[in-house]
Amino acid sequence: MKPRYYLVIFLLIIPVQASLLSPMSLGDIKPDLVLALLFIIGLLTGPWEAALAGMALGLLQDVSAASLIGLTGFTRGLVGLGAGFLGRRMFDVTSPSTVLFLTAFSLAEGIFIAILLQVFYGSVPFWNLLFTRLLPQALYTGLLGYFLLQPLRNRKIILALKRRDIQREL
Amino acid sequence: MAGFIRKNKRSVVILILFAFLFWLVTIQVKNGRFPFMEKPVLAVAGFFERIIAAPFRFLGSVGTRYVYLVRTERDNERLKQELVRLQIENSATNELLTENERLRALLDFKKLNPPTAITVQIIAKGNSPASNTITINKGSDDGIEKDMAVVAEDGVVGRVQAVLPGTAKVILLTDPGNTLAVRVQRNREEGLLEGKLGLCALKYVSFYADIQVGDLLVTSGLDGLFPKGLPVATVLNVTKHEASAFQKVTARPIVRFSRLEEALVLRK
Repeated sequence: MKPRYYLVIFLLIIPVQASLLSPMSLGDIKPDLVLALLFIIGLLTGPWEAALAGMALGLLQDVSAASLIGLTGFTRGLVGLGAGFLGRRMFDVTSPSTVLFLTAFSLAEGIFIAILLQVFYGSVPFWNLLFTRLLPQALYTGLLGYFLLQPLRNRKIILALKRRDIQREL
Repeated sequence: MAGFIRKNKRSVVILILFAFLFWLVTIQVKNGRFPFMEKPVLAVAGFFERIIAAPFRFLGSVGTRYVYLVRTERDNERLKQELVRLQIENSATNELLTENERLRALLDFKKLNPPTAITVQIIAKGNSPASNTITINKGSDDGIEKDMAVVAEDGVVGRVQAVLPGTAKVILLTDPGNTLAVRVQRNREEGLLEGKLGLCALKYVSFYADIQVGDLLVTSGLDGLFPKGLPVATVLNVTKHEASAFQKVTARPIVRFSRLEEALVLRK
C-alpha cells in the first residue's frame, strides 16, 4: 500500500478511535476500529507489511494511551502477520466469512493480552473478562468489520490499494 | 547461518522487532513505564482529538447554550460541583459514622474537608486494548498536576498520568497499571485494588477475611493520592483456594466509564 495511505491512517486512526467511536459504545464495549483496519490491511498487503503496520499502529496506541509501550505493538504485529497469511490463503477477501476471522482475531488478541497481563501482574479475572468484555468486543469489532469490508467489494478500490504490489510483482 | 539470514531477511527482521517489543514490555513491567514519550504523543493525539471532538462538543453546547439560558448552564455547573462535593462529604460522613461506632472512646477526629476540585470534560476515551485511559480538556494551565485524583458523581475514576498545558491523560481504575489502596466499607478489611482491563482485582486480602459479594470498596487514603472514604468498586466474586494465603476477589468499578462525560480533578 502507498506510504501516503499509511500516513493518513496513522494520523487519523487514533483520534477517530478515541473520540468518534465513543458514542458507539454499548456499556463499556466499543468496536476496535484500529484492529478492523489492520486486519483489512493484512488481507490486502500480506504478512510482512501488515506486521510492520500492526507494530507501528500498536506502538502509537500504546504511547497515546500512556500504557505499557510495546504491548499493543507486539499483539497488533501478530494480528497483522496472521491477517497477512490469511489473506494469501483466501480466494475472496471480501467474502462475509472474513468477518468471522476478524472476530476470531479480535478475541484471540484479547485473550493473549489477558494471558500476558496474568504473567506480568497476576490476578486477572479471566472468565469474567472473557464473557463481559473480550467476547462482546470481538463480536462488535466483527460487526464493524462487516461494514468496513463493504467498500472493498468494489474491485476498483482493491486494485487502487494493491497497485504498488501488483506493479512490484509484474 | 549467514546464508539462512540473507535468504530469510524479512522474517529475521520481523522476528527481531517482535523480540525487541517484548523486551520493552518486560523492562517496563520490571522498572515502571517510560514517561518520556507520553508528552509529545499526547500533544499530537490531543490536537487531533480536540479537532475531531470539537464539532460534537459544539453541537452539544448549541443545545445547552442557546436552547436554555447561559445562566442556567452556569447554575447547573455550580450545582453539579456542589452535588459532587456533598456526595464526597456524605461518603466521608458515612465513613466517620462507621469509624465512630468502632472507636467511640477516641475523640478529636480531624474534620475532613473535601478538597477543591477542577471540573473537566472528557474529550477522548482510551484506544488501546491493553489499557484504559481517557483524555480531559484541561491541563497544567488550569492547575492540573500529575497523580491528582479524578472522581465523578458516583466515585473514583482514576488519576492523572500525563499533563500538557491544555490537556491531560487520566489512567482509569481499570487500567492494568493502576493500583489503589482500598478497604471494605462494611468491616474495614484492607487491600490493594489493581486494574484488570474493565474489571479490578482486590489483592493481598487474607484467606480468613470476611469478604462478600456486593461489598462496597472505598478509598483508604493510605496511598496519599485519594481522600479517604470515596466509593470505588463493588465486589463481584470471591474465590478461595486452600493453597493460597490470599483470596481472589474481583470487583466492578462503581463509575460507568462509558457514560462519563464530566469529572472532577481534586487538587492535592
